[in-house]
Amino acid sequence: MLFQKPSPKIALETEEQIEYLAEITPQPDEVETIVGPSVNVEGDFASEGNIVVKGTVTGSVRTSRFLLVEPGAKIVANVRAGSAKISGDVKGNMKIRESLELTSTAKILGDVEVKVLSIEPGALVMGKIAMPGIEGGEVKGSRRTYKRGEGGEESARAE
Amino acid sequence: MYVYLYDNFVKNKKFASVVRAIEVRLTDYGIAGKILHLNNYLDAKPIIDDEIKRGAKTVVIVGDDKTFGHVLSRAATCECVFGFLPIGFDNTISEVLGIPVGEESADALARRRKEFLDVGWVNNRYFVSQLHVHPSKIEVIYDERFKASANDRMEVVVCNFKPFYWKKDRKDKEHQVVHPQDGKLEAFLRPLTKKRWWGYKYEDPSIFPFEEMEIIGEKPFTMEADGKMSKEVRVKIKLARQKVEMIVGRDRKF
Repeated sequence: MLFQKPSPKIALETEEQIEYLAEITPQPDEVETIVGPSVNVEGDFASEGNIVVKGTVTGSVRTSRFLLVEPGAKIVANVRAGSAKISGDVKGNMKIRESLELTSTAKILGDVEVKVLSIEPGALVMGKIAMPGIEGGEVKGSRRTYKRGEGGEESARAE
Repeated sequence: MYVYLYDNFVKNKKFASVVRAIEVRLTDYGIAGKILHLNNYLDAKPIIDDEIKRGAKTVVIVGDDKTFGHVLSRAATCECVFGFLPIGFDNTISEVLGIPVGEESADALARRRKEFLDVGWVNNRYFVSQLHVHPSKIEVIYDERFKASANDRMEVVVCNFKPFYWKKDRKDKEHQVVHPQDGKLEAFLRPLTKKRWWGYKYEDPSIFPFEEMEIIGEKPFTMEADGKMSKEVRVKIKLARQKVEMIVGRDRKF
């Protein structure tokens, strides 16, 4: 320990300080693409960094990182992302590698494939949801519809 | 050998003391050299080429953001190392390059910390600081894959070295910092929406990092690249990677 190489972790005492250092350290790969309100994007929309959508996107959306769809935003496209948080409308199939969060204002019309899914009461989903981890769990025609239930809780119904 | 290109405004009495202090410091470091005075109508490229033939290895731009853009938009292809001594009030590029304004800039120059920087290429010429398309009805095609458009007019700003500042309203001031070496240019799109009977309101900007982009206008639109205005109908903007070898400071933003 006495002859350990100097590192920021040794100089800093608390975990808070280490977290602060991680926050202020610039990350060169963190390129963010923002589609602002009243901007329409058409075509194969791909980015190496995070994507924030506040406007309209038609075609396809691809990112290996985080996708944020804000309330009022509209996506009419197939979506592939590392992880995502949806608060707007998505019409198309979604393939999310890690986690997907649907807030109360989200509206999804299409199939979803994701590892970890969280749905806030009030979110609307129309489509098949597939999650890896269940063996032989695929049922023919297992189309599920989630809709707003009484008291804001979601209910699932197999068709 | 060092060659110093002074902008015309540096002759002003206001800057005489700073210039003298810088020159003294350069002499102390042993890097003083030939001084040439530029004016607005002079193309820097043939001058720099001549000096390179005479043995110049380092060309130092002395002035502000405008001088920097004026020289490098023409001379980016010259085979020499560029330096920058920022003087004056309009100096945002020096902040990105990590060079302090005034006398201390000579210290950064003497240290010779060199980096290769990317520049933008627009319709057969280079731009180094910023490209600005004034609000007009345009369509933007990115990397030949997707296009962005707005319902009404749209303003486009492409940043290389110069940061883009915008205000949501009069009180607000947001700040974006550009990383010249991230291998991409950054385009800021701001659509305008009609406000009541007359006037326009700026919407929140969209940000797209890109390598190649095409701007197509319904009618000819005004474009400003490194302070030079022109009317265009179709513009192709590309990224020229690691084109300029530049002496930068320790506190650079990339």
